[in-house]
Amino acid sequence: MLEIRNINKTYGNGVAALRNVSLDIPAGMFGLLGPNGAGKSSLMRTIATLQDPDSGTITFDGIDVVSEKDRVRRTLGYLPQDFGVYPKVSAHDMLDHFAVLKGFVQRGERKDVVEGLLRKVNLWEVRKRKLGTFSGGMRQRFGIAQALIGNPRLVIVDEPTAGLDPEERNRFLNLLAEIGEQVVVILSTHIVEDVADLCQRMAIISQGQVLMSGEPREALDTMRQRVWSKVVPKAALPEYQARFTVLSTRLIAGQPRIHVYNDAAPEPGFESIDPDLEDVYFHRLRQQFAGRPVSA
Amino acid sequence: MSVSSSTLSRSALDRQNEQGRTRLFAEFFRFDLRYQLRSPLLWVAAMLFALFAFGATSSDAIQIGGAIGNVNRNAPGVIVNLFANFSVLGLFVVTFFIAQPLLRDFEMGTDELFFSTPMRPRSYLAGRLAAGMLASIAIFVFTSAGMMLGGVMPWLDPARLGPFSLSPHVWSFAVIVIPNLIFMASLLSLLAVTARSLLSVYLGVIGFFVLWLVASLLARDIKYDSIATLLDPFGTRALERTMRYWSAIESNSQLPELTGYLLVNRVTWVAVSVVLLLLAFLVFKPQRRRAGKPRSKRDSINTLSASRSMTSGVSAAARLPGARFTSTTASSQFLHQLLFDTSGVLRSIPFLVLLGFAILNLAAGSTFVDDLFGTSIYPVTAVMLRVIQGSYSFLLILIVGFYAGELVWRERTARLSELTDTLPVPNWLPVMSKIGALAAVVIVFMVIGVATAIVMQLLRGYTQLELGLFLRGVAIQAVPFILMGAAAVVLQVVSNNKIVGYLLYVILIVLQIALPPLHLEHNLYNFAGAPETPYSDMNGYGHFIAGWAWFQLYWTLFTAMLVIIGAAFWVRGVSPSWRGRLRMARNNLRGAPAAMLAATLLAFVGVGGWIFYNTNVINEYLPSNVALDRLAHYEKAYRQFKDVPQPRITDVKADVDIYPAERRVEIRGRYQLVNRSAEPISDLHLTLDPRVRFKDLQLAAAELVSDDALVGYRLYRLRQPLQPGASAEFTFTIERAERGFTSDGLPPSSGAGDMRSVLNYNGTFFNSMGMFPHFGYNEGVQIVDRNERRKRGLGDVPRMATLEDQAARQNMGFPDADWITFETTVSTSDDQIALAPGYLQREWQQNGRRYFHYKMDQPMLPFFCYLSARWEVRRDTWNGLPVEVYFDAKHPYNVDRMIDGTKKSLDYFSRNFSPYQHRQMRILEFPGYARFAQSFANTVPYSEVIGFIADLRKPEKVDYVFYVTAHEVAHQWWAHQVIGAGMQGQGMLTESLSQYSAMMVMEKEYGREKMRKFLKYELDRYLRGRGGELVEELPLMRVEDQPYIHYQKGSLIFYRLRDEIGEQNLNRALANFLRDKAFERPPFTTTMELLDYIRVETPPEKQGLLDEMFAKIILYDNKVTAAKSVKRADGKYDVTFDVSTAKVEVDGLGKEAARPVDDWMDVAVFARAPGDAEDKERVLFLEKQRVTPQTKQITVVVEEEPYEVGLDPYNKLIDRIPDDNRKAVN
Repeated sequence: MLEIRNINKTYGNGVAALRNVSLDIPAGMFGLLGPNGAGKSSLMRTIATLQDPDSGTITFDGIDVVSEKDRVRRTLGYLPQDFGVYPKVSAHDMLDHFAVLKGFVQRGERKDVVEGLLRKVNLWEVRKRKLGTFSGGMRQRFGIAQALIGNPRLVIVDEPTAGLDPEERNRFLNLLAEIGEQVVVILSTHIVEDVADLCQRMAIISQGQVLMSGEPREALDTMRQRVWSKVVPKAALPEYQARFTVLSTRLIAGQPRIHVYNDAAPEPGFESIDPDLEDVYFHRLRQQFAGRPVSA
Repeated sequence: MSVSSSTLSRSALDRQNEQGRTRLFAEFFRFDLRYQLRSPLLWVAAMLFALFAFGATSSDAIQIGGAIGNVNRNAPGVIVNLFANFSVLGLFVVTFFIAQPLLRDFEMGTDELFFSTPMRPRSYLAGRLAAGMLASIAIFVFTSAGMMLGGVMPWLDPARLGPFSLSPHVWSFAVIVIPNLIFMASLLSLLAVTARSLLSVYLGVIGFFVLWLVASLLARDIKYDSIATLLDPFGTRALERTMRYWSAIESNSQLPELTGYLLVNRVTWVAVSVVLLLLAFLVFKPQRRRAGKPRSKRDSINTLSASRSMTSGVSAAARLPGARFTSTTASSQFLHQLLFDTSGVLRSIPFLVLLGFAILNLAAGSTFVDDLFGTSIYPVTAVMLRVIQGSYSFLLILIVGFYAGELVWRERTARLSELTDTLPVPNWLPVMSKIGALAAVVIVFMVIGVATAIVMQLLRGYTQLELGLFLRGVAIQAVPFILMGAAAVVLQVVSNNKIVGYLLYVILIVLQIALPPLHLEHNLYNFAGAPETPYSDMNGYGHFIAGWAWFQLYWTLFTAMLVIIGAAFWVRGVSPSWRGRLRMARNNLRGAPAAMLAATLLAFVGVGGWIFYNTNVINEYLPSNVALDRLAHYEKAYRQFKDVPQPRITDVKADVDIYPAERRVEIRGRYQLVNRSAEPISDLHLTLDPRVRFKDLQLAAAELVSDDALVGYRLYRLRQPLQPGASAEFTFTIERAERGFTSDGLPPSSGAGDMRSVLNYNGTFFNSMGMFPHFGYNEGVQIVDRNERRKRGLGDVPRMATLEDQAARQNMGFPDADWITFETTVSTSDDQIALAPGYLQREWQQNGRRYFHYKMDQPMLPFFCYLSARWEVRRDTWNGLPVEVYFDAKHPYNVDRMIDGTKKSLDYFSRNFSPYQHRQMRILEFPGYARFAQSFANTVPYSEVIGFIADLRKPEKVDYVFYVTAHEVAHQWWAHQVIGAGMQGQGMLTESLSQYSAMMVMEKEYGREKMRKFLKYELDRYLRGRGGELVEELPLMRVEDQPYIHYQKGSLIFYRLRDEIGEQNLNRALANFLRDKAFERPPFTTTMELLDYIRVETPPEKQGLLDEMFAKIILYDNKVTAAKSVKRADGKYDVTFDVSTAKVEVDGLGKEAARPVDDWMDVAVFARAPGDAEDKERVLFLEKQRVTPQTKQITVVVEEEPYEVGLDPYNKLIDRIPDDNRKAVN
């Protein structure tokens, strides 16, 4: 459905945000993983018609996203990473306003859409409340409601779960999962679990480059029997980092537990563990910046 | 023992704390001062103020401070005024430097960092406040430097510079700038600590400022003067009161004394400031106030239930429809976005606050509009529209500018732009809907203004509602604001930076204001500029609306182009570099926008061309400096012929055809000329207003020697000179036609008596001076402003002939005629009446036009008028003679007063002076393009805006309609029977005597009490007038063309003269004067001769007084300093009061010399019931007593308990502080 071919974007200050990015994204949930500043948002904005690439093409369902912005916008639902609201406007009025701007100019039709969506995201009870009084989760649900107006075939959600408590996060992901069947849903996040839980396909992006793309399961398979774990003394940590490809270091009861990528057991005391998506993620990042420690 | 040790340790702790506090204060102060000094805004503000001050001192483009005429540019009085103005203006700037530091931490969220440290909130507050004050003072130091620098610029006229002195600057800082800053700082800190947001503080400041404006508006009337001076926190009113009567010399040489009102005002407000400051310190709590309300229980339940249903799956929701995009989708979206943004603005607090203040301002403004002598007018719709323009709609300039920024940045400020930018709406939609929203806001604002105005009308019992006119009027006013709003949006969009956008908008406004004073006056290049559209109840918007409409169409097209281009710059999503934006804009403009742009450009150029054709080809575009250059040229080239003998016009016959609908008049005239001089005349200097065109002209055997079309001057040489005593005929056909429209609409008025639009659809009015050809040099058009003269190398202002100049007595002020015989036929369209002086001989219709033949039966002044309009006529008689008022159907209110005033005047004058020479009297209303009434022989044109709509329903008000009518009727004697020579003092013979005559009629009608009220205004206007004298103040009998002398001082002097020698005696002198001088042939009479007649009727001891009143300028300073009364055993009261008197003689420039007091003054004691107003008082004692320098105390015995005593309590003497002539008894 969505084809991204060789897109490049360099900002005025010399930062190369996207470097020769190519991706094929079919219908369904697609996870875009990457650390802060990796270029996820740049990619999302580019797909969402908010900025033009310096070169490369993006095609969605036969529509050239760069030159036929208006056509894309008619089928786009976008939830940016960080968005505000007019604090003094009620949820209903604001959603109604968005509905008009999304093309629902007939009052009756619009009423159905707005009410349906408010119910869908469970804001019906609070539809008359001012948006300024909404909690982070409610606001995020409002965000998804506006993104879903008009049954978009391309939905882009950028870091939607950041700052949500676990319950709200679950609720939100369920909502996403529900819509992500016939349409393209791109979910960008730096939280590996979000992708692991939801996405049929994914890509890892860092420093503007695609490090991998494919199905999470395949990626996990390639790592199987190659991830090892051990609790090490704090003092010895630098030594391990120098000697092995340390994927992550996590404190367990005050002692660092490290994950190491290696074809065989690196040394006695390491136990083999089932890789999770996080290990995949860090492995790809390690490959990109060999030797630079990263802690999760 | 233990007690003392504990006190010891506590005091040691205190000391430590004390030091800590000081240190903390010093730290906050130091830190913040550094912060402020690094802020570019401080330096921008300082430079701006300095530049403004520099401009005000070194150029004429910025005129504040009052450096006019003989007042030096760097006069102490001017500097003090400048500082006072800048100080008020500074409020808006200072707000930032004082309130912002107090709020910075709250706004930036650093408050919790600061207030979690063990510092003292008061040191914090004090330190920041002190730093802010110092920074603000820095701005004024720059202002001061700007003034000083402006004062030494080489292009300045050295004649207008006094010696440099630092003391006015120091004085201004000490008395005005710093106390005002203290007040502002205390007000602002109180606002800041209570409101805790910069926006609210600014709103508070705007609110305060509007209240201040309203208060000063309310206090405009003299009777609230003293209270107003005290209530003004900036001290400007007190300053104005101290300096209002200053002469040029006083302004140039002295600083205001820090006494009286000024001192009380300053002390009061510093004290108020201290209280405000203390309050601020008390209220200041560093704790953060929690934003928002605590969440209610219901909400949490909702969230719970939400979570439950969410986890259980939401698939129940039905499949929702998709959007359909059709050709009308975009326009529906546009309308929706427009309404959404409009309601956002209408509901926002700043708008509501500004609207509230605007309504308040409008209500206050409409209460006092056009008051004359304290009497108000009916709130007719045309006047209310003017008030809406003056005190209401101007706020829109602020509103559209501010909300252009708010709306353009609305989505981005709310961090919604990433959402909205991806919505499927066309690129033009956001920009267009925001402009539409501003337009809607303007319209709503205007409609509310109309509603307010209507409420004001109804409250004042005025029920002639004209909704249609209101709507037309506010529509005219709204257009420029809508254009400004669109421009402001485009500036925001293109600059893509809110602050830069605002700055560009301010620059646009500055350009609009600054271009005309730089003589770039054409509306073709002043954004949203259009000719004025004065509304007259008689003539409606008349011909003015066409020019206005073309110009506004022109600017609308221009704005449309701006908008098309601006919309192309609208950024969606991430803002690219400038180069990227340019590329984007170019791309966006392709196709339909480009075509629209081209079409609009074409239309713009077309309309611009049509305007240029109208304003510069068929009419002449004449910037004011070029107009003055022409006058200068006329004077330089032709003043030399001033005394060249010219023939006299002795008979005028004219056929005048007025075509109101075409705004055209054609005149076929015939003059009978006689050479009254002793030598043959061969050169005829013929002058005709350049706007009038000769179509034909016949002068027996004359050749045209030169023709100066720019100033309308022609020189003819007769082949056969006109011999002394011989006569000749001059026949001519002239035409004046107004075609198309001009850039300014109304040409600038040249002063009183100047009708600015003479040919109108309804209400044509012109007189012989402007329309008919004349012989000889016209002194009336010379430039009077000294500085304008100096710039053009014209030397001193040419003065009137002195009283001693016997040669000047040959003329009555008209260069080419004295008494004439007059006959005219005037025609007009068939729906109008045409009038001219004289008696109607015949009236007939011909070719669909009405003709009137008028003939005067006796010689009259060579000054006549023509009027044509659709009038109602009210007829009455006086002793069998017709008295008629021709008025507009909308203005019937005071017609009966006019008739009554006319009849009573005719009564009094014919009984006391001489018989009335005519057999009719007519008053004719003309459109309010000028504010005067003017007396022609038996004919008085009277402007619709003075008197016809005066509200005389309250009997305690001064009936100035009656008074003005009486004044104009009096001119039938004073001018039309006896007229002085065209020399010094002529104004006294015509105007002062008419003032006296009218006052007598008014006093008979309304009593002496009313006269006091009236004379109080006359005194104030005289004293202000002499302060504004541009050349030289002259004694009454030598008055040149100085209205404040021949009207106001004339009233005061003649009223006192009547008081001193008695009405009978004075009237006898005037009657004798008339008997001997009426209708005399040259040499014409003078004030010296009149004084001879008055002298005869004056007792010997008052002969010296005559000299003081007429030949000198004398000012008194009389006051009662203390008054007490003691009840005697017999029930009477001994009233004793201390008085102080002074008298000065002033020369023409204001230099004063003390003179011994030796005058007869009223000494009075009054009783008044507690709580009663002054006009309820009863006189217990009133006697004229001789007052000399030895008079220090006066004692009188009265029957009743006294309330108040007075020395000259009725202000018959000219006294600059009239109020202290009375004092309440202790």
